[in-house]
This record gives sequence, structure tokens and C-alpha cells, in this order.
Amino acid sequence: MKLSDLPGYLRDTAFRLLPHRARTGLFPIGDPGPDAPVLVTGNFTLTVRRLREALAGQAAWVLVVNSKGYNVWCAAGGGHLTHHDVISAMRVTHLADKVRRREVILPQLAATGVERRAISAATGFATRWGPARLEDLPAFLGRGSRVFNAERFMRFPAWERQEMAAIWYVPALIVLAPAIWLMLGPAAALAAAFALVSMVAALFAMLPRFNPVGPRRLPILLGFGLAGALAGWGLLAAMGDAMPWTLVVVGATNLIGTGLLFMDLAGTTPWYPSVINTGANPATITLDEARCDGSGDCVMVCPRQVLKMNGSRRKVEIRDPGQCIQCGACIVQCPRDALLFHYADGSTVEAPTIRNTRLNMLGKRREVRR
Amino acid sequence: MSSFVWMKVLESTPERYDRGIAMLSGGRIAQVYGRIAAIAAAPGRRVLDIGCGTGAVSFACAERGALVTGIDINAEMLEVARAKPVPEGGTIAFLQLAAAEIEDRFEKTSLDAVVSCLAFSEMSEEEQDYALEIARRRLVPGGVIVIADEAAPATPLGRLLHRLRRLPVVLATYLLTQTSTRPVTGLAGRMRAAGFVDVSQERMLSDAFVIVRGTRP
Repeated sequence: MKLSDLPGYLRDTAFRLLPHRARTGLFPIGDPGPDAPVLVTGNFTLTVRRLREALAGQAAWVLVVNSKGYNVWCAAGGGHLTHHDVISAMRVTHLADKVRRREVILPQLAATGVERRAISAATGFATRWGPARLEDLPAFLGRGSRVFNAERFMRFPAWERQEMAAIWYVPALIVLAPAIWLMLGPAAALAAAFALVSMVAALFAMLPRFNPVGPRRLPILLGFGLAGALAGWGLLAAMGDAMPWTLVVVGATNLIGTGLLFMDLAGTTPWYPSVINTGANPATITLDEARCDGSGDCVMVCPRQVLKMNGSRRKVEIRDPGQCIQCGACIVQCPRDALLFHYADGSTVEAPTIRNTRLNMLGKRREVRR
Repeated sequence: MSSFVWMKVLESTPERYDRGIAMLSGGRIAQVYGRIAAIAAAPGRRVLDIGCGTGAVSFACAERGALVTGIDINAEMLEVARAKPVPEGGTIAFLQLAAAEIEDRFEKTSLDAVVSCLAFSEMSEEEQDYALEIARRRLVPGGVIVIADEAAPATPLGRLLHRLRRLPVVLATYLLTQTSTRPVTGLAGRMRAAGFVDVSQERMLSDAFVIVRGTRP
């Protein structure tokens, strides 16, 4: 990362809940000829900057689609990045006049929103899924735009977990810290910030060790909250400011933090389904085997290794439904509408509904007329 | 590209959208819909509504007897629009299409009017130019285009004051309905550049809205 990118990186990381729009359009990386690959992405500033970094030294075209300033995955899940937006970008940039290769490479995480066949029908371009993560792009391009199986699954390395931790504590501290400063002075504000940051950072650091959607998530969160509060209280004592009110406020800050994380810690990870969307009525991915024609389109877009192809039977199998994060990508992509969600209350949601609503609208996904 | 962050915040239901727009306009948005229809719609006129959402402008045009097609890329919004009763005299069809896909469904000179409300501000500048260009080609000579959107004051200081004044409403609306709008700028100039003539604009709702109109020569 260049030093001049640092302010933008900090803004995009800390305020990731808000959209940050990059310029849309067709941009060259290196010196691409008319036969260079065309990579599609969304116009979230952080995404575009990271894509440019990842592609340094390559020759490619980058088609930045209007995803309304959201990252590809969220935009596709929220209905802000669809095949209509990709088709629109291809036409607006006159892509067909600028490149000879009649293929675009789509980000795999766009699969909840982008239907490949619609793009081909409207533009005549073939489509192909790239890897789930952009740091795998150089290797992907190096082997002639072929994805290795392992590149389809979402990793969530330690540093990225800390970036996600920041989206919780930065907005919370913007609200809480000035109020505490005004009431009890800078030492209390600093200690409260330290308590909250320690709690959230430790939680995300240790995320691979516990399950934030399970029934025990409240005691786990309270445990981290208390540990963070102890750190804050320790800092207060070290600064000689451990008064009854300052101690209470530092504890209360972490209680608020625990409440916020209880709402939906899982939804800010690529490993777990959002609990707000599913709530008390969790969904299970199921396969109607009679409909499955073994195209494997679903396997290519699953970021969680839930599905696998049984080559000898030419059928897809659900390998590990417990890993499913309910992004719906497989359901959207299946050409035979063979995958669906079964809810705990006995209801089912099929492909046409997912294609219209994408994610679960705060648990209010409605049936659509077929 | 690497996060699954708070998707629910980004998901806005159509009902919440309608409520959000009503809040942002202080309940006066219907005046804008009516004004667009008054300029563009008349009995038998073929009207295209770009980014129709839940169909408010489409229905305002159909009430005046126009034959309306509303397009939007949001299937859920269209589902809500389709459930509303069609006014007598007019007709309405809704299609799931982006502005750049108009050319796939509409012949040249097959439209008498193109309208759009709160949709151009969601497009990139290049998309706006492209949409204007293909809209012009789909209009008959003498056909009108009417685009309404949130407006920002012309000067930087005016824009800052405008933002500060609006901030409480914007925050409350976003929290309650996950709906927001962005002002659009330079629309009249874009319209002229796309080949429209007699381009004029009027402000509504205490300068918060601008309605820009033009004619295909």
C-alpha cells in the first residue's frame, strides 16, 4: 500500500458500514491489448484499490461496475450488484468495441446477485467465475483463468478479522467516547475506548476457536466483555483515575459493546450466517436430487465447501450443510432450480424468490409469483 | 470484496423505501410525481418510467390516460408495483430492466415521453449519459423527457449548509427505513449534450427537488 492510500484505507476500513463510491468504467492495468482478460468488480473504493494492487505487473482490463459503493459480496446479497448492472457497465463503456476477447471474468462473491446467462444473452459475451479472493487473481490469470478448488472458499485471516473488528468499535466509540470525555474527562474516555477495543479485537482474534451463532454465544460475549472491562479498569487504576463513576462507565461501555455484538457478530464474518436474517427460524440448504442435472454451477460459487460433485453419478451432493452461510449463491446459479432453503418452521424458499429478494430482508423474505 | 458485512442494513424492503422517500420529502413527494405526470402524460401517450420502483410516477401518468411501461432492476419493488390497481383509462406494464437495457425492448421512436424520478442519482455519470442518449433515440421527434431528482445548492457553502440542515432527517430516515437519496448535478447540461433541445429546469419542495425537461428535436 502506498502512503497516499492510507487515509482512504483507514476511512474505508473503519466506516465500512457506509458506501464509498469509486469511479465506474473500464480501466487498463499495465498495458492490456484487445485480447487481455476483462475482470469485473464493484465500485467500493477499498475493493478497487486492492484490486489494482493485486494486479500490479499484470496486463488486464478492469470493468468497475456501479455497485452503489458497496463491496461485491454485500452489494450482490443486497440486490445492489446484479447482472443488470454488469450489462449496463459493459454497454456504457462500449466494452465490445474495445476488446476482442468475448469473455468477462466475474468475482465469485457476486454470484448471489449476478446471473451469468442473462449477461451472455444480452451482450454475447461468455462469462466465467474468478476466485473468491482477489489476492488469488495473479495465479488465476497465470494459469489461463482457471480457478483451483481451494480458491473458491473464504479464508478469514487474522489481519482481516481485525479490520472487521474495527467496523464495530470505531462507530461505537465515535458516539460514546466524546460523551464520556464530557462527563468524566479524558482518562475515563481513554479507558472506555481501551476496554471496548480490547474486547472486540480479542473476540475477532479468537474467532476460529468458538461458534458465534451457537446457543452459548451470550455467555461467550459476556466473558470477552468482562475481560475487556478488566483491561479498562486496569488502565484507569494505572492512570490513578479509578473512581466509582469511571469504573461504572467503563463497565457499561463494554456491556453496550456486548449488546451490539450479540445483535449480529456472525453477520460480519464470512464464516457464519447472519443471525438477524435467520433469527429463531434457521434455514437449511437442501437439494431436490431429481431436478439436479450435474452442471456443477452451484459447486463453483459456494464459498463454504458445502457442496461437492459426485462425478460418477453426475449429481451434486450436500457435503456439509452446517457450513452453509445462506448467501443463496448456489440457489441463484442452479440452471434447474434444484436447490432450496428449508426453514425450521417447515416453510421452503425456492430459487425464483431468492433471485428476486437476494438475501432475507431482515427475515421478511416474501414469496413471489412464479 | 472480502466481507459479508451487515447485509441486512443494505436490504431495504419496498414498503420501507416508500416510507423513507415520504419522510425525506416531508410528505410532499406526491407533488413531484403529479408535476412529472402533468408535463409528460396525456391520454394515449406512450410513456417509459425509468427506475420506476414501486410505481408512483407510473401510476400518476396512467391516471392521466397514458400507456405506461415502468422499468426497474429491483424485482421486489416491481412486485409491489404490480399489486397496485391500475387506474381507469391508462395501462401499465412493469419490466425488470436497467436503463441501459431499454434498447433490447423498445424500438426506435416508439415512445412519446420518458420520465424518471429519483433514479438518475443512483446511476454513475457515464450511465446517465448513456441512458439519456438511448432515451432520445427511442423518443419520437417532439417527444419529451422529464427527470426529477434530489437537488443540491449550486455553491459549496450552500451545499454544506444544505447537508447540515438535512442531516437529522437523513439519519432518522436511514435508521428507520434504510433509505437514502443523493443529489444529482449537471443534469440539464447532460441533457443538452445528449441532443435534447428546449432544456429547462424548475425547482420544487423548497429547492430540494429539481425537475429537468427536454425535447427530442
